[in-house]
Amino acid sequence: MKIVVAIKQVPERDAQVHIDASGRWIEESDLQYAMNESDAYALEEALQLKEKHSGEVVVVSVGPERVGSTIREALAKGADRGIHIECDDLNKRDVLGVARLLAAALKPESPDLILTGLQSDDLGYGQTGVIVGELLGLPHASLILHVEKTEAGLTVKRELEEGWFQTIELPTPAVLTIQSGGNKLRYATLMGIKRAKTKEVRLVTAVELNVESTPVVSLENITLPQKQKSTQMLPGTAKEAAAALVEKLKFEVRVI
Amino acid sequence: MIFFSSTLAEPQYFSTIEKVLFVALILTSFVLFWQRFGPILNKILKSKKDVDFHLFPAGRRVWDFFWEVLCQAKVIRERPLPGIAHAFVFWGFCAFAIVTLNHVAVGLGSGFLNPASLIGRFYFYFAAAFAVACAAGIIGLFVRRFLVRPRWLGKDLSYGSGMVALLILVLMVTYLAAFFVADADPVTRVLWWVHTLALLIFLPLIPHTKHLHLVLSPATVFLSRGGFSQIPPLAGDEDFGLVAGTDLTQLVSLQAYSCVECGRCTEHCPANNTGKILNPKEIILGVRNYLNDLGPASQEPLLGKYNSQQAVFQCTTCGACEFQCPVGIEHLPILIGLRRGAVNTGAWEDNHGAKLFLALERGSNALGMSAMERDKFIQKQQFPIFDGTQEYCLWLGCMGGYDPKGREIIADFARVMNYLGTSYGVMRKEKCTGDPVRRLGNDLLFQQLAEANLELLAQNKVKKIVSICPHCVRTIQEDWKEFGTPPEIEHHSEFLARYADKLPKQKAAGTEPAEKIVYHDPCYLGRYRNVYEEPRAVASLAGDVIEAPRSHERSFCCGAGGGLVFLGEETGERVSHVRAQELAATGATTVGTACPFCNTMFRDALASSGEAAPRLMDIAQLTARGLPQDGSKLNGSMTA
Repeated sequence: MKIVVAIKQVPERDAQVHIDASGRWIEESDLQYAMNESDAYALEEALQLKEKHSGEVVVVSVGPERVGSTIREALAKGADRGIHIECDDLNKRDVLGVARLLAAALKPESPDLILTGLQSDDLGYGQTGVIVGELLGLPHASLILHVEKTEAGLTVKRELEEGWFQTIELPTPAVLTIQSGGNKLRYATLMGIKRAKTKEVRLVTAVELNVESTPVVSLENITLPQKQKSTQMLPGTAKEAAAALVEKLKFEVRVI
Repeated sequence: MIFFSSTLAEPQYFSTIEKVLFVALILTSFVLFWQRFGPILNKILKSKKDVDFHLFPAGRRVWDFFWEVLCQAKVIRERPLPGIAHAFVFWGFCAFAIVTLNHVAVGLGSGFLNPASLIGRFYFYFAAAFAVACAAGIIGLFVRRFLVRPRWLGKDLSYGSGMVALLILVLMVTYLAAFFVADADPVTRVLWWVHTLALLIFLPLIPHTKHLHLVLSPATVFLSRGGFSQIPPLAGDEDFGLVAGTDLTQLVSLQAYSCVECGRCTEHCPANNTGKILNPKEIILGVRNYLNDLGPASQEPLLGKYNSQQAVFQCTTCGACEFQCPVGIEHLPILIGLRRGAVNTGAWEDNHGAKLFLALERGSNALGMSAMERDKFIQKQQFPIFDGTQEYCLWLGCMGGYDPKGREIIADFARVMNYLGTSYGVMRKEKCTGDPVRRLGNDLLFQQLAEANLELLAQNKVKKIVSICPHCVRTIQEDWKEFGTPPEIEHHSEFLARYADKLPKQKAAGTEPAEKIVYHDPCYLGRYRNVYEEPRAVASLAGDVIEAPRSHERSFCCGAGGGLVFLGEETGERVSHVRAQELAATGATTVGTACPFCNTMFRDALASSGEAAPRLMDIAQLTARGLPQDGSKLNGSMTA
């Protein structure tokens, strides 16, 4: 089974994000980067499928040079080789633009399965995987927690709202976007890192992939979320205040 | 008729048949010795070289040899009665070296020590005194091993030990008896032959029993790495720790064969004492059995048939085993080496362990919290940011930066520093020192954390660090050395003790009875750093310091070390509960700690023991309690 996993490098969860001088993007020089969380789960799913059914796991990522470290991390955890689509103007491409790059790089690989995370932790469009599926004309499903290989293709478990799950079958090749938390992630090991040194990472550019690079998106400005903390005193007797509190919890905050 | 002769009786002649027989027996004895000892020596020498081994400077080695081997200091200090009995046997052996050489020479017709000469007379009396002590010692040890039978000697009786004890007794008795017969008496000849046979049976028994330590342990003590829990660097791209026989180094193999099976390690092991399967003695014997069966060239995993992975990950790295070992075995590099082998290759699968590793792969602290929380805490406390102008970098550590109780300790320690007028600053981007992953054997993460921190400290030109956590102190000072030069660092107990005469004393004379503080020695401050008196001096400013039954270098672990605080539920009893009960039973009103991990372990353990539990306070909190409430400083000025 040949599986391709599309992974994205995003600012570390703990990163302190600042807006840069242009006001249109974040200050990147001081940031630490990590693998997008749901992509890490997609990789884990791929590695487990490979362990069960044998085959190959290829990781692909779009981005500038720094993305190489995240590809290496995936190789260290057990992926067999990597494709790095070098691209310094990621923030000028919309989600369709990125999906086109991925689709162009993936097509010649003709994988049995394409996995990616449900959405990115930074921009959070949640569309990349689905559009790649459309561009390649493959069946796709999103919010997947578990993948099982069958005779005919795949049986997958989807997460729905309010604790409901849906089990669906689809043929291969297919594209699945993976939800976080379906598996337990493996930790990176020294042996993995050492072995990863000898694994192949192929560099390709947008030009080589013959994908248009005219910017279609322009960001006007970005702002940090405004934190608001306000205190409201509920007047009246204890009974009245309690009733007012219940009212607010029910209809304003909607937690009960 | 028995009479005391002033000289040692020796047979005056030997027939040719006797001489031939004697030589044949000597040769047989040596061949039997070598048949067993040769392969053992070969296995040790064929083991991998220790890349970090340097014979020089040898001063420490010579001292250890003198103190631990010749003086038997460790043997006696940690177990006085059997220790002295053992020392008598050992010193008896040393005194007997010349006697034995002379004995053999007499058999070959060329005795060099004439019993009638002044020197001979003196030396044989001298040896006789040791013979009496040695005989008494070996009887004592025999009684202990076969009649008293302490738990840590194991369930099975060692008949080899019984045989050896008997032979030693025979040697001493036959020697002493020769003072009571005349040279010409046929009994003299019988004594001589019995003595000879005992010697020649004893020799081949050495490599077949734990008495191999007679030959090996002096070398083991001399060649040991020396540093406490000194974890060797990995050598090259194919070294992942102790994975298979090919990873066993010469030091590890030598140590495995030196084990005398005394069980001191097991007697003091917190895991073994609370119902875990870990038995440090069995770990060492497991390595020895592996070497015996498979040898140092085997690719068979070390964890599996010979040692259990589960046991290896029950170790709190408290170091009681290594501290106690009288023959120079360094348990921690072996235990942690086995963990490295399992973690660096991904063979160890543990949900809690993986969670800790992932938290540190993606974040900055072992508690898995957002670094933003740390920033908020720094802002709330108004800690100055280190900018190169201050004297100290105040290292928060994961506990000081994120744990509610750890934060209280750091805040109180900062108050004391403010009071003293010491300048300090904290670093925003400090990461975990890597202590838990170092002890769990994750070299990849440890290196990343150490390098990131070293770079940060160098950028900020930090010269001196002070920390409330003995684990941070140890890791920064010793373990980071593999990747750079760490700044000077000290534990807050050392800092506070230096200012003890400037800090307020809280005992008002003649008022209510003083607070009774039982101080718990953290493993990483005591055994690892040899700091015992400073925290006591600091605690005594706040009340009367009393001792727990197990204290100083015999302190019993809180259960947190070695990354175990992150690994979830223990099997058997909880180490922390056992220790907390011991501390509470002293009748102390307060348990004094000097480590935020001990503190967090006891917090839970004491809470479960009901309302009568003593208070729990770090020495920084005990000190801060006595500071003036108005915030005035030592020099009289007011804090801003």
